[in-house]
Amino acid sequence: MPSEERGRELISIPMTVEVPYRFAAGKYMTKFLMELRDNGKFYGIRCPVCKRVQMPPRIVCAVCHVQNTEWIELSHEGTLVGFTIMYLPLTDPTTGKPHEPPFSYGSVRLDGSDSVIDHMLNIEPDIDKIRVGMRMKAVLRPREQRVGDLSDIVYFDPISQ
Amino acid sequence: MKRNVAIIGGGQTYHAARRHDVNQIEMVNEAVRAALADARMTIDEIDTVLVGNMEFFEGTHMTDCWLVDGTGAYGKPGLKITTGGTVGATIVCAGAHHVASGLFDKVLCIGFEKQEEGDTGAILSAVAHPLYGRSMAGAAVGYFAMMGTSYMAAWGAREEHSAMVAVKARQNARKNKYAHLKLDITVEDVLNSRMLAYPIRMLDMCPASNGACAMILTDEKTAVDRCRKPIWIRAMDTAHNEQFELDWRDVTTRKPIFSKVSAGRLYKRLGVEQPSEYFDVFEIYEPATWAELVWYEDLGLCRPGEGFMLIEEHKTEMDGPIPVNPSGGVLSTNCIGASAMLRVWEAALQIRGDAGEHQVPRDVRRALATAYGGTNWTVLTALSSKKDD
Repeated sequence: MPSEERGRELISIPMTVEVPYRFAAGKYMTKFLMELRDNGKFYGIRCPVCKRVQMPPRIVCAVCHVQNTEWIELSHEGTLVGFTIMYLPLTDPTTGKPHEPPFSYGSVRLDGSDSVIDHMLNIEPDIDKIRVGMRMKAVLRPREQRVGDLSDIVYFDPISQ
Repeated sequence: MKRNVAIIGGGQTYHAARRHDVNQIEMVNEAVRAALADARMTIDEIDTVLVGNMEFFEGTHMTDCWLVDGTGAYGKPGLKITTGGTVGATIVCAGAHHVASGLFDKVLCIGFEKQEEGDTGAILSAVAHPLYGRSMAGAAVGYFAMMGTSYMAAWGAREEHSAMVAVKARQNARKNKYAHLKLDITVEDVLNSRMLAYPIRMLDMCPASNGACAMILTDEKTAVDRCRKPIWIRAMDTAHNEQFELDWRDVTTRKPIFSKVSAGRLYKRLGVEQPSEYFDVFEIYEPATWAELVWYEDLGLCRPGEGFMLIEEHKTEMDGPIPVNPSGGVLSTNCIGASAMLRVWEAALQIRGDAGEHQVPRDVRRALATAYGGTNWTVLTALSSKKDD
């Protein structure tokens, strides 16, 4: 029990392990990221059986287990289905740096898609200014600054109505 | 199942944020010794050892080899299993399959986590797809926060409802001598606790615990010969979600979500029509308060959108008509690799009548345990005092 710890020296040794990775995007994700980078477009893929438009595009529909083949261009606009205001300085695992709290992020379903995408929201982190069901629009980096990953999306802006 | 499978013993460590007094092997061995003592067995009698934890939380791979002294697996057949938060229940599931198949008669199952030794948030971020959404995947808290905003928007629940779940868990934990967070708190305390990620406050979230759980599963003959009150594993079911489709937090989704799919199959197999009446107690996997309300609905304890009413009406309290997590649950103790096994073990203790101060005040014949793996899959385990009912 913890009481036994009192007055006794217990050794523990700190250690930091840095592990580099390099992930292949694969055929479908590569097309998705290239369209985003080069043409500023979002593409999903439609299952030939269940007709769900899936984003990010993937080779097989998990539900029907058939190959997805029909590419569908999606809108930059969508609807907020969930959100949070984060008060913790969470480390961004893709950069190793913390996102500066507080910040708001959420899950947006782009028009024409059956899937959602999680990203930063360009809304003041104030609970009275965010609600589920808000209309949102993706804001991309300028073409010359885009690199071909999801950071090419800066954030989602609320569409004033 | 091909052969009946019984739980004839189990044990757990006490759970705490700091366990500098033991290393991983020593901590695991505490649970193993407790389980063997409970089953009145020696390690020599065990046919095989299954062990698991959350991948890489403690920075060691091949934990099955590292921990072999403590687990008792030296020279025995055995496997390591790692399936995220579900892992403890997955080990029990695999153990039950090993017994049911006839391959082994006596299986030792072990789940553990020594969270303080690693960076839980950093490792959990690797649950997300590396190229899609990982930037936002800092920790589990964000996922449950979005579940909370979705839940409130869809069903009209308020933050007070999640706070009621937090209070129930910690008040129950005060009666569980092994629990980590034993807090005498009120709804006001929860609502006044520090906001982590709206609407999740400090007291809406599980702690990072160290601890281990071990269980011994056997065939029917061994159980009847050796055990005064064996607890029977009546049915198990598992289901996965689809990669990228984390719509489980969009509580209004009509898609077949893993939790509902799995519960539906398990109920059909057992002939369950009214789960809140069929089972006498539930031990569910709720790392955050909102997850408990969603589980109520996914398990069919109420209709969709009515989960918050169950907590408001005190139905799921220890002495209520549908007791949920009398142990204090994951909200009070989360040693991740052991958490899902603790659900099964606590459910078994309730049927045995050995839960001590947190024993629910009713005749417990059947119990259901759930698990969460990442945010995408579950293992359900249905237990009974009878092997055929």
